[in-house]
Amino acid sequence: MVVVRLKPLEDILREVSGYGKVFIFGCQLGSARCKNGGLREAYRVAGFLESKGIKVSGVKSPGGTCILERLTSKDVLREAGRNSDVILSLACGAGTQLIAEHVSIPVLTGVSTLFIGVEREGKHFDEYCIACGECVISETGGICPIARCPKSLVNGPCGGAIAGKCEVDPSIPCIWYKIASRMEEIGEIEKLRKTMPPKDHRSCIYPRELNLEGRS
Amino acid sequence: MTLCEKLSKGKFVITAEVAPPRGIDYHKVLSGLKPLKGKVDAFNVTDCQRSMVRMSSLVMSHLLLKEGFEPVLQLTCRDRNRIALQSDLLGAAALGIRNICLMTGDFTTLGDQPDAKPVFDLDSVQLIELASSLNRGCLMNGKEIDARTNFCIGAVFNPFAGPETLQVWKLEKKVKAGARFIQTQPIYDIKLAEEVSELISSTGAYPIIGLLPIKSLKMANFMKKLNPTSVPDSLVEGLERSSDPARYGWEYVVDLAKGIYEFGKGIHFMLVGKVKELANFIDYLRNNGRGNEKN
Ligand code: SF4
Ligand code: SF4
Repeated sequence: MVVVRLKPLEDILREVSGYGKVFIFGCQLGSARCKNGGLREAYRVAGFLESKGIKVSGVKSPGGTCILERLTSKDVLREAGRNSDVILSLACGAGTQLIAEHVSIPVLTGVSTLFIGVEREGKHFDEYCIACGECVISETGGICPIARCPKSLVNGPCGGAIAGKCEVDPSIPCIWYKIASRMEEIGEIEKLRKTMPPKDHRSCIYPRELNLEGRS
Repeated sequence: MTLCEKLSKGKFVITAEVAPPRGIDYHKVLSGLKPLKGKVDAFNVTDCQRSMVRMSSLVMSHLLLKEGFEPVLQLTCRDRNRIALQSDLLGAAALGIRNICLMTGDFTTLGDQPDAKPVFDLDSVQLIELASSLNRGCLMNGKEIDARTNFCIGAVFNPFAGPETLQVWKLEKKVKAGARFIQTQPIYDIKLAEEVSELISSTGAYPIIGLLPIKSLKMANFMKKLNPTSVPDSLVEGLERSSDPARYGWEYVVDLAKGIYEFGKGIHFMLVGKVKELANFIDYLRNNGRGNEKN
């Protein structure tokens, strides 16, 4: 899932001030899951803005703001565009852009889009994938050294991997320890002797696209 | 004789580390090294070590060479993609720089420009492969160049890092990729130095054991923070007891160096603080050591 972080309410207030009526969009997929931009947070932002004298013309949180079909079918965008002066979106960067493509009023974002990650006991989220376009985890026990090692090392740990901790931030584990024990566990540790070639960075030059036409 | 010729002839080598200046005045650095001329076999020129901005290691290596010192150009993957790395290596070859020591490099956020973009396009193993390919007369993409480079390629090994199996395999990958000598992180235990020398030799490369004189208890604690198992308790106790910890730390490392001289292939001083003492010590080693050294 895409993990986002709600901006400080004061910052949001500063951004929307001077626009007039604000329509707030959340997103029930990623933003709601990480409790930083679902319906609940959208209402919290609305309450705060109203307490500061900002007029809120509506609050909606579709079940996936980045899914165009659902949005248009609900007509929420048209409604928002008609009776508001600005839209504040708590959806991820992709969802927010999609909203902007469908309205003719300004669209602001109330979140920072952080990463593709997983949820840990509803308490925190860890980055697991940077969508590098050339997945290597079949070779590394299903654990990603691209996203989970700050240096994206594929040929084994760096010399700063001390006592299981990462040199970059000792509060996070060096992922190569996890990869080693996982590969041991599944009997594939020998695979890690193989030198991995340099990455072809053409696989992650943006903007990328996925084309379904002409697929066999 | 170059560093690699000495290594292949079985001569015990002594290298030392030089940091380029944090500025443009390199004269002080060069004049400081004078007492070591003809004694230290080669000087590793660090590449913005600890991610702190300093003068380019390539330029500083060239300046050393011009002054009659043999440099080991250190190059990391932190700041350059494969285009820049190849370009710098071709430049180094053109300037007559023979020795290179290739490594992944410290992370950007640990230095004085934590907001910089980390590059890490290649890793150390792939960078060594790249240099080997230049030695065969080809760029990384296989295109031939007008001449072969003639680099003596080195790499690094930290015996305190883990997981052990993967660190050893990575070392093997580096040697397979073309590393001929391996310089280690500082070691403070003679038995460990011997084991590490054997390990590196078994991969087919020349081991050069890192030595870093500890100047104070504070420094010992700092080293312990980096590598908890690297500094033995006996060393810390000695420093605590000593009325002159700097002297104690120096003598500790000198004893270690004498021990390594008996079985090893080389040592690498990671600090050239005590230039005169180091020069004297090297004279002592050369004159009192193994028979094959007297030449
Ligand atoms: S290797 Fe690339 S695509 Fe696969 S999980 Fe890691 S970042 Fe994502
Ligand atoms: S310590 Fe491990 S996770 Fe951290 S940069 Fe080094 S190899 Fe990557």
